[in-house]
Amino acid sequence: MITEEYRGAKQWSRNKQAVFAVVWISFLCAAVGTMVFFAVFDPVDLTGVFDEDLELERDAGYAAGFFFFWVFSLVCSAITAFLVRTAPKRDAAHRTKQD
Amino acid sequence: MTDPKPASLYESAKKIYPREMSGRFANLSKLATVTLLGLFYAMPWLIWDGRQAFLFDLPSRKFYLLGLTLWPQDFPYLALLLIIAALSLFFFTALAGRLWCGFACPQTVWTEAFIWMEQFTEGTRSQRMKLDKAPWSWNKLRRKGSKQFLWISFSLWTGFTFVGYFAPIRELGYELVTFSVGGWTAFWAFFYGFATYGNAGYMREQVCKYMCPYARFQSAMFDKDTLIISYDENRGEPRGGRKRSVDVAAEGLGSCIDCTLCVQVCPTGIDIRDGLQYECIACAACIDACDSVMDKMNYPRGLVRYTTEHALQHDKTHVIRPRMIVYAALLLVLIGALITSMSMRTPIILDVIRDRNALYRELPGEIIENTYTIKLINQSNDSREFELSVVGVTGITLNGVEDTLVVAGGGVLSLPVRARAHRDDAFGVMKIEFVATTKDGSGDTKTEDSRFLGPMP
Repeated sequence: MITEEYRGAKQWSRNKQAVFAVVWISFLCAAVGTMVFFAVFDPVDLTGVFDEDLELERDAGYAAGFFFFWVFSLVCSAITAFLVRTAPKRDAAHRTKQD
Repeated sequence: MTDPKPASLYESAKKIYPREMSGRFANLSKLATVTLLGLFYAMPWLIWDGRQAFLFDLPSRKFYLLGLTLWPQDFPYLALLLIIAALSLFFFTALAGRLWCGFACPQTVWTEAFIWMEQFTEGTRSQRMKLDKAPWSWNKLRRKGSKQFLWISFSLWTGFTFVGYFAPIRELGYELVTFSVGGWTAFWAFFYGFATYGNAGYMREQVCKYMCPYARFQSAMFDKDTLIISYDENRGEPRGGRKRSVDVAAEGLGSCIDCTLCVQVCPTGIDIRDGLQYECIACAACIDACDSVMDKMNYPRGLVRYTTEHALQHDKTHVIRPRMIVYAALLLVLIGALITSMSMRTPIILDVIRDRNALYRELPGEIIENTYTIKLINQSNDSREFELSVVGVTGITLNGVEDTLVVAGGGVLSLPVRARAHRDDAFGVMKIEFVATTKDGSGDTKTEDSRFLGPMP
């Protein structure tokens, strides 16, 4: 009785699930990281820490911090997801001919 | 990747066309959406004491909440508030299941608003399905175009409102009209607007299914006394179509007429009759759908209803149980701690930094001198007068400090200070305390520890 037309049916592909989960979760982590980091450090005070001539506006500093955290956690999450998903299903010792 | 045939990255899920539903819970959800979105869009425009009532002023690093001004140093309050929010989520999840998902989550609320715009421009579920299948025509272009126009304008307004929490929204509005919005401000407005457009317009419940961590771990807070939306299998089965006049008992049929309306209205596309599934966001659309059918069939309502596992098994449901007591106790302690610490908070910050270049200086007359940089911050909104003193070493005095220090409301006073003591009293490393006392009779004081160094004895 329930046809495909009624159902939401088809799922996102596994790759798409992984990509979106990685992007979204690292985004949330970056938001939290940015909040905690800039509660302690003022971007203006950080001027000159990395580069003597760097004149950092506050909002540019916040943005740079946010994207740093996002890229950083994106790389972590992506590598983790990649390792988890590409791990051998069974150890070599337990492998049978079919595997 | 090891998959023999990697599926295409952008293979799209089959589009879900949730059927519009009316009923008790649909009304409740509409009310929640209007209230929450109304608050979101209205709050930045409120004025308190001549200033924006809710402003997280990032450019000047101050948070204004009604009459309260919070500084970066007050971050622990924000952290505590977030912990309380998380714990409340646990509490309500254990008590009533995914109430948050169904009625309060921004993803749900914005999706609901976007679906209204979709229905307004493209019509009902069947009209939308027909429209998508139909070849391009003037009618289709007009409907799709006006939907996009509504969606995009709404998203841009959302982005604008969002940045209005972080920079004064009235000035922002003026800048918008004169096309002089700052680069980063405009960027964040577009960024948030685009995220709203994508999440609420296209991804919708896929976000709940594949991207939301809460959706995955909320079941850990569930037990047999948690309120869930469930199909009453004992009553419904065996399901099957029948005429209204049929004697159910004689035919050996259950109450479910298998009309599939509960599946058609489901925004995540599940069948509630298969049991509790993690895709279920507890929006209660299936309850409304089933109730309307039960009414038509003259059957009692509640074949799909809010219930608990215990109730379904004809056991007693326990609202008060160890899990609830623990969550409630933790919540009360944390809320108590927040209120106490907020009410005891003195709006003064005193920072003392010892001069690192010299241990100490010997002055004529056997005097030992240490130098410090004092930072005195007045967190209140009015100008205040302070007196600075130091204690901890016999006869210690401060030099280079006026008797009265005036710090403007929200101002920071940075001051080099020399502390002096007689050589007989100062040796080795001694603990001292700087004290800033207000002179307005309020009795507000702030002390800060530091060290006074003298020659080794």
